Amino acid sequence: MSQPTEIHTLAGAYALDALTEIERAAFSRHVAECFACDLEVAELRETAARVGATAWAAPPARLRDAVLAEVARTRQVPMGRATVEPREEKAVLRWRRWTATAVAAGVVALGGIATVWVVQEQRVDDVRQQADQLRIDQARIAAVLAASDVRLRTSPVAGGGTMTVAVSRGLDDGVIMLSGLARPPAGQAYQLWLLQGEDAASVGVLAAGQSQGTALLDRLGAADRVGVTLERAGGVSRPSTPTLAGVPLV
Amino acid sequence: MSTRAGRGEPAWPGPERVPQGPDDLLRRVARGDEQAFSSLYTMIAPRVYGLARRVLRDPAQAEEVAQEALVEVWRTAGRFDASKGSATSWVLTIAHRRAVDRVRSAQAGVERERRVAAASAETPYDDVVEEVTASLEQQQVRRCLQGLTDLQREAITLAYYSGYTYREVAEKLDTALPTIKTRMRDGLIRLRDCLGVEVGASVATAGPGRAGR
Repeated sequence: MSQPTEIHTLAGAYALDALTEIERAAFSRHVAECFACDLEVAELRETAARVGATAWAAPPARLRDAVLAEVARTRQVPMGRATVEPREEKAVLRWRRWTATAVAAGVVALGGIATVWVVQEQRVDDVRQQADQLRIDQARIAAVLAASDVRLRTSPVAGGGTMTVAVSRGLDDGVIMLSGLARPPAGQAYQLWLLQGEDAASVGVLAAGQSQGTALLDRLGAADRVGVTLERAGGVSRPSTPTLAGVPLV
Repeated sequence: MSTRAGRGEPAWPGPERVPQGPDDLLRRVARGDEQAFSSLYTMIAPRVYGLARRVLRDPAQAEEVAQEALVEVWRTAGRFDASKGSATSWVLTIAHRRAVDRVRSAQAGVERERRVAAASAETPYDDVVEEVTASLEQQQVRRCLQGLTDLQREAITLAYYSGYTYREVAEKLDTALPTIKTRMRDGLIRLRDCLGVEVGASVATAGPGRAGR
């Protein structure tokens, strides 16, 4: 498991938004369990914002109109908690929506040559949402991400977005993240697979219409890679379409 | 020892001073009050846009990011929790994360290298500030930044203003990763103490907060 003191030293980098997405997820979990950390992080965030607030610049007048117009047609999330659709919450597959649009630098440029490489850098959007929604499996996800033998790999997904896989062989667990995928056509959903040769075992299905998510991969077993396909909503028992991305579990 | 600018709007508008400060406005925004959002916009947009410009070094991208961030403020206002910090900080946290997301995107990355290189001769504080309000607060932040060690200051400004991850910062400063982690944290702690930042329960009861320190 993670060592609290070790992960806690990330509080500064976290407050500065200087963590990768995966580190951020691990740290968010740590904070959620630790009142003192929560307070320290809140104070360091406040401090960082005080520094940021000195960068004052008059925005163009058109920005106001653009923002107010968009606000007038934008629904608000309910007060006090994140939006989790009920059936998403029940899903055995434990998908959690991420607003993150994680794209490793250089994905598009390298896509045709090498589809997989160690993640250098990722982006993240809404840590609050992550903290709220990555509840059930997050301890295990955090354990994977904090494992000393964790390996990160990412691959572009055909049609847009990326699939990132973090694997700890020591824990025999992994974490998969899909971000920034193309919105699936009506009645279809992204489905994830553990693949070994010709065998495929379903790992999870995103909700219809969902284009990003994260999931725990338990029991890697002998599988040698993870793949994603576009299937009918609700999922199928075997992949019926070509994989849009594959990441080796090495 | 007041940290207020003393004229016009407070340097760092807090709930304890102004009935219609950002905290109150944001609470009204959370209930769908578009009028309150409009007032909040006036108060906060220059900071959001200014921060986006500082990080992105590009007015057009800063404008896009500011718009995204401000709409997100509207959309997620219900999640604002005054016990975790001020409304201004909450908004700037959203804006900063969006700006960092943008600057780390593949295309922006290449551009950024160029701009950062081009701007490296300038001071880290002044390069995009066109207009300064709350000069007292700015001076205070600057003074507190000067009170850090060089490594603390460089680590914090490279991460915060340029959007680098701490790993990148470690590479750029040719310093071990654990050291950079530690310097970011202890540097921010020192800044926090220097600025008198407080977060907590007193906010809701209109306590003296940071101004009273």
